[in-house]
Formats: sequence, structure tokens, C-alpha cells
Amino acid sequence: MATVSFEGVRKDFGPTTVVHDFDLQVADGELVVLVGGSGSGKSTTLRMLAGLEDVSAGVVRIGGRDVTALPPRDRDVAMVFQDYALYPHLTARDNIALGLRLRKIPPAEIDRRVGWAADVLGLGALMDRKPKQLSGGQRQRVAMGRAMVREPAVFLFDEPLSNLDAQLRGQMRGEIARLQRRLGTTTLYVTHDQVEAMTLADRLVILDGGRVQQIGAPLQVYQRPANRFVAGFIGTPPMNFIEGALGPIAAGVGAWGIRPEDVTLVAAGTPDAVTAEVALVELLGAQAHLHLDAGQHRLIVVVPGGAAPGKGAVVHLHLDPARVHRFDAAGNAVPRAD
Amino acid sequence: MRRALLYALLAMAAATFIYPFLWMAATTFKPATEVGTLSLIPDHPTFENYRVMWSRARVGRALLNSLLVATVNTTAVLVFGSITAYALARLSFPGRGLLLGASLAALLVPGQLTLIPTYALMVQLGWVDTYAALIVPYLFNVTGILILRQFFLQVPRSLIDAARLDGMGELRIIFTVFWPLAGPPLAMVGLFVFMGSWNEVLWPLLVIREEGLMTLPQLLTVFRMGGAAGPGGLAVQLAAAMVLVVPVVVAYLFLQRWFIESMTGTGLKG
Repeated sequence: MATVSFEGVRKDFGPTTVVHDFDLQVADGELVVLVGGSGSGKSTTLRMLAGLEDVSAGVVRIGGRDVTALPPRDRDVAMVFQDYALYPHLTARDNIALGLRLRKIPPAEIDRRVGWAADVLGLGALMDRKPKQLSGGQRQRVAMGRAMVREPAVFLFDEPLSNLDAQLRGQMRGEIARLQRRLGTTTLYVTHDQVEAMTLADRLVILDGGRVQQIGAPLQVYQRPANRFVAGFIGTPPMNFIEGALGPIAAGVGAWGIRPEDVTLVAAGTPDAVTAEVALVELLGAQAHLHLDAGQHRLIVVVPGGAAPGKGAVVHLHLDPARVHRFDAAGNAVPRAD
Repeated sequence: MRRALLYALLAMAAATFIYPFLWMAATTFKPATEVGTLSLIPDHPTFENYRVMWSRARVGRALLNSLLVATVNTTAVLVFGSITAYALARLSFPGRGLLLGASLAALLVPGQLTLIPTYALMVQLGWVDTYAALIVPYLFNVTGILILRQFFLQVPRSLIDAARLDGMGELRIIFTVFWPLAGPPLAMVGLFVFMGSWNEVLWPLLVIREEGLMTLPQLLTVFRMGGAAGPGGLAVQLAAAMVLVVPVVVAYLFLQRWFIESMTGTGLKG
């Protein structure tokens, strides 16, 4: 159990800076998700914490101890990788136990921990198989077992679910969340998938171009995005951005935005209603995403699946002025009155 | 029908390769009167040729010398080559590109060109007529390093990361993580180096004069050139050649599965 802190951490690859002045305090037992697109610096940040990349400037602490110059094995962290990174020539059992053997843990204690991990992860019958005899989900469980038995101060997950199919991803997401709550181990989790980020995180760190865009609880980030990047990145379908006036919403200095669920279909003749034409309907079952043309503006609106109008239909929209996000010319959020 | 034709052609091609070898093997068991025939089965089989060879040259000693030199060279090339290849493939340090370029450039220099300078060096070091002259110049092999480097580049980075987090140092990563994965390229490099060392004649002829230190091919060359095989000595010479070739054939039979796998190219599965 440990806190983690990054203090002014920077990473350069040659002349290119890929992580700028990164500051973050992670509380003991907290699950923090680093989320961003490719090239945002999220994996590099995690690898600097693990000791797999040198830190160009700044200090990394685990449990208050400065680990910036320590090799990975002395940092007391365990990591789960996107491609599982299991040793192909060893069985699941040996993959899980190897880290303990190298640390000279007594064999009886190794057996106890490996047995415990196999129970928790439901690996019982698979322990004597080699990685190529396991499915993707099973391999990822073995990789998690290898991290768990180390009983590390910090768990690191680097896009652990990206190689799994959608159904398995949902299931494993639940398992990781349950496991982390149960073990109470401080966890840093990297993903590009904002659904994964929203559902798992105690706190989110949104990164873009190697810079922190916002740090906060998932709902807080969703409801109060710090800037236009965060507003567009978090939320599916993404926020509608509009420049100029539309219906009851006046033009501002920069663009303004409204989330798809804050736009509702209303009857013709409703005061301040905006008229739009349906350009595309994406039916998802319970809901449908309507892509609308309202003059020169384009909007996405979420409606119940059964009530979706067809392509080409003319609809009337109510935009709730209280739900509008305003941004200044630089793209930073303008604080709302409420 | 077409398949039968194909197999007949393949069988003929195989026979053109295997017949001379079988003839050589058979002839070593023939008495002098039968040596000229093309038959593969001696009418009066005899070990006389082997006995003559053994009595006129120190074949046993030379065989041991060859085994020692080839084994030490092969082991050294695999161990040092793996370490060098790992560094070139997986570690970043200043001058890595330069080192790699220099290694590639070394491939362009023909061995004959370095023969005399290396010999001069051996003389300066006082290593002429010692095992050191046979072994030390062959501890590194650039081709081996490049083949292993190419394979090491294919190993996913995360596997090295995982091993480092598990607490392994770089040497342990090479020999406990990479080596179990690298069977085919190690077998291929090992076989090339072993055969190269085993068959080497020119270099031993330069640096070894004492019979007790001679390797087998050197001894046999001296044996043949010196006329020690005696009159009508073709069968005796062939017997000596058999002693030379059998260990390589045996080594190949053991390693052929990996060797073929490696020649057809392999990635990491699973």
C-alpha cells in the first residue's frame, strides 16, 4: 500500500518532449486512470513510474520514497501489459511464481500465494498450461495473477483489455474493478478507451500532447470539462460544438457545446425550437443516435430507439440553455453560474 | 501419375547427392582390389583401411583437438554473440548505431585479407603452436551476432519489461527468457560455427606445426599431401574423410528440426 506522486516530471525523446511538467498525487488505495489518445504520453508516464523509462526531469515517489533513479525491480510495482507479456516457454503456474522465486520467497509461501491467485482468478484447471494453450482472456488473468502474487505497493495496467473482444472486455473490466477494491492496492491504469476510464476510475487524468488537460472524478470531468479537448474526448457520442447562435443560445467569444442528451425532440411550434433535418440514423437498440443538419450546424442527438424518426425527416429541437458549456477563444471552459 | 513422376524426379535428385557419400562410406570398407568399382556393397568387407589410417597418423588425438576447438568456439560464439546481439538489439547506448555499422562492415572484409595480420599477431603473442591460436580468433562471429540480433528484435518489448519488473538482470533475461525462445536461430548459428570450425584447414596449417595439436582436417591434409596414406591409399584417405564427416552428420541429424524451422523463418507464437 502506498501513495504515488509525480513532481514536475518531464520526458524527452531526443529533442522531442513527450511528457511536460507532469504533477499528480495518488492516494493510498486509489485507482487513477490515465486516459488520452495515442501520443498523449499516458503510457510513457506509466513506464516512468515503473522504471522502464528514464525520467528527464522531476521526481517520482512511491510511498514517499524517491524512486526516480531506482531500477524497476527495486520499486515494488507490478505491471500488466496489453499483450500479456507471459513467458511463452513457462506454464501459467511458473509464469505467476517466477517473480517470487527471483525474490527468494520461501517455496511454501510461493505455493500459498500462487494457489490464492489461481482461486481468485478462477485459473485452477489452467495452471499447468502454457500461454499458447490459453485464450486471450485466460492469458490476461495469468498476467494479473503474476502481478497480484507480488503483493506490490502499486499496480500498473497498460491498456490491459485492448487485445480482448468487446464482450470479454466488459467482463474483465468488472473483474479488475472488483479485484482492485478487494485488494485495496494503489493502481494506475492507462487506456485510450473513455468508457473503460469512466467506469473504473476513482479519478481521471486526461492527457493530450503530453500535457495534463484535467484531473478529477469521472462525473466531475463529464459535467465540468476544463476545456474543449476534454469536453470532446469524454462522452459518447461526443459533445456537439457550435460556433455562432442557434435557437435560444446566443453566440459567445469562442465555440459553445451541448451534450447530445441535453438536446430533446419537441413538437413543431414550441417556442425557441430549432428545426433540423435527419441526415443519418444510428440504431443501437435501446437508443438511436440522430445526426442532424440545422442550417450550417451539425448536431448529434440521442433518442429512444423505438421513437427514432427516419432519415430525411424534419425534427424540432429544444436546446437547454442551462446545460450549455461555453469556451473562450483559447478553448478553455468559461465557468457556469450554477 | 503426375505425383509419381514428381517423386521419381525428387528421388533421382536425392540419389545424385547421396550416392557419392554412400560410395565413399562403402569404399572405406573395401580391400584395395575393389576400390575402383562403383558397387555400394563390398564383396570382402574389411576394417583394414581404418587400421592403416589409425596406425600412420594420430587420428584419435586430432579428433579430440577438433572436438575441443569446435566446441569451445561454438559455445563462445553463442554466449558472447547472444550478449552482443542483445545489446545491439535491445539496449540503447551511445555509439550503438556505429557498432552495428562496424559489424556489418566487418562482413565485407574477406577472411583471407586478415589472415596474415592475425598470424603476425599470433606470432607476437607467442601463441603459435598453442590452442589459443585456434580458439581466441574465433570467439566472436559477426554473422552469428547479426542473425541473433535479428531474432532478438522480434521479441516483444513487453517481455523484457515484464522480466525486469520480475527482478531479472540483463544477463538473466538473455539466458532464461531469450534463449528458450531462440532455439532455431541458436541451432542454426551453432551448426554453422561448429561446421566452419570443424572443417577449417587453412588457419590451423598456418599456426600449428606440432602434430599433437593438429585438428583432424589439418592432420588429414598433411597425411594426404605427405603421402603417408601409402600406395593405393585412396581407400585409406576416404576412411580418414569419413572420420571427419561423421560428427557433422550426426550433429546435423540432432539439430535438423530446429535448423529447418529456422531456415523457413519463424516468429514467436502465442
